[in-house]
Amino acid sequence: MSRAVGAGEQVRALVGLQLALERRTGEALLVVAPFGAVALLLLPMAVGTDVPLLRQVGPGFYWLVVLLFGVMLTVRHSAEDGPGPRALLAQCGVDPVARALARVVADAVLLLAFQLLLAPVAVALYDPRIPGWPALLLVLPLVAVGLAALGALAGAVSAGVPGRAVLGPLLVVPLAVPLLLGATQVIEAAKYARAPWPWLVLMGLAGLLALLATVLTARALEEAG
Amino acid sequence: MTRIDRYLGAATGALVLAGLAAAVSAPPDRLQGELQRLMYVHVPAAWLAYLSFGLTLVGSVAWLRSRQERWDRLAASSAEVGVFFTGLAIALGAIWGKPVWGVWWTWDPRLVTTAVLLFVYLGYLALRRATVDATRRARNSALFGVVGFVQVPVVHFSVLWWRSLHQPPTVLRPGDPTIDHVMLAALVVNVVAFSAVFTVFLRMRMRLARDEAELAAATEAPGRPVAGSAVTAPAAQVAAVTRQMDQREG
Repeated sequence: MSRAVGAGEQVRALVGLQLALERRTGEALLVVAPFGAVALLLLPMAVGTDVPLLRQVGPGFYWLVVLLFGVMLTVRHSAEDGPGPRALLAQCGVDPVARALARVVADAVLLLAFQLLLAPVAVALYDPRIPGWPALLLVLPLVAVGLAALGALAGAVSAGVPGRAVLGPLLVVPLAVPLLLGATQVIEAAKYARAPWPWLVLMGLAGLLALLATVLTARALEEAG
Repeated sequence: MTRIDRYLGAATGALVLAGLAAAVSAPPDRLQGELQRLMYVHVPAAWLAYLSFGLTLVGSVAWLRSRQERWDRLAASSAEVGVFFTGLAIALGAIWGKPVWGVWWTWDPRLVTTAVLLFVYLGYLALRRATVDATRRARNSALFGVVGFVQVPVVHFSVLWWRSLHQPPTVLRPGDPTIDHVMLAALVVNVVAFSAVFTVFLRMRMRLARDEAELAAATEAPGRPVAGSAVTAPAAQVAAVTRQMDQREG
């Protein structure tokens, strides 16, 4: 006799499925991450390979690459996004909210890994001074969760739409400005011995709003798909 | 063109002339001189950007509640007109900024958040254009229209939340407006005139959207040949089978 599966269990199972898919394809960490590293390498050639200048602008470049390439990662097409698998999941009674949350959690994990992979590259290339680095322990997950929630929302809104790969970033990037501002200003605040909390609160609020929007619209978007 | 359109057009023309007269006859600014007269177009354009994205929010929420097409048309048309007025406000701000601040563009919170607002609604319009199915387009863009509106109060309050070159609110603020009353009167006349222009644009765009929907429905109407109907049995084979059946029966 079958039993009803709780929402938490559904989320756990779907996160496991998405991470397993990523392990198999390596799209996020074996394709997007190296692409991001190449961007970090090329950016100094555009502004001049002056070491003091790069030390100053390096953290900003890092967050810009995380934002732009992280968006690519969040709006990528997953095997689970197709109409067939979606219909199957709906038939199996998987809650659309659980699906959306699973997408956010899986993408947040991948984004965190993406940020951790790129961080040593940025440190090696730019040799930045990061006075308030312990705050990064909060900034990294906040950026990951906020970007993952916005990406899940944009991915759901543009599911099945032709040109989704370019439309998704256009929808996400303007809304992700608070995350970029917060991430860069936390380091600036530490440089001038100012409290980083206002920026952390801004990022947390932006992430929370994105998460709420993703969860609240999940059922309506599932119906549309 | 209906009678309402004719009256609205005439009233709008009169209001635009009145706005122009008010803008020209208002006293020049003590510091900026004649340049400040750009305010009589820049501020109404910015106000209409807020209004149009507010109407997009109203249309989006109303569509989600009622599923009536007219609300979707209101949301979409208003967003399109709003993008025009946001672009106009940014362009006029740049023209005004060059002689006053010395640069076309500066990294001021009001400017940056307004540019972000423009891109949010360009994304909204791109999403609509990319979605073929009408119901799905209406639903997805309504949801995005609700989420995207978050940016509007951020633009308005950006001059209060962050240090800004841009002046803080002078009219939409608690207490007495901090603007000369003759200038305020000229500004109000221009806001009304531009709102009338906005109403004309919005009505025209909504009508065009309705015509587009009717055209799409007509071209997709049943009875039109579809891909499958092009595949027919070859006439010679049909004739041969009919002959064989006739011979058997005979």
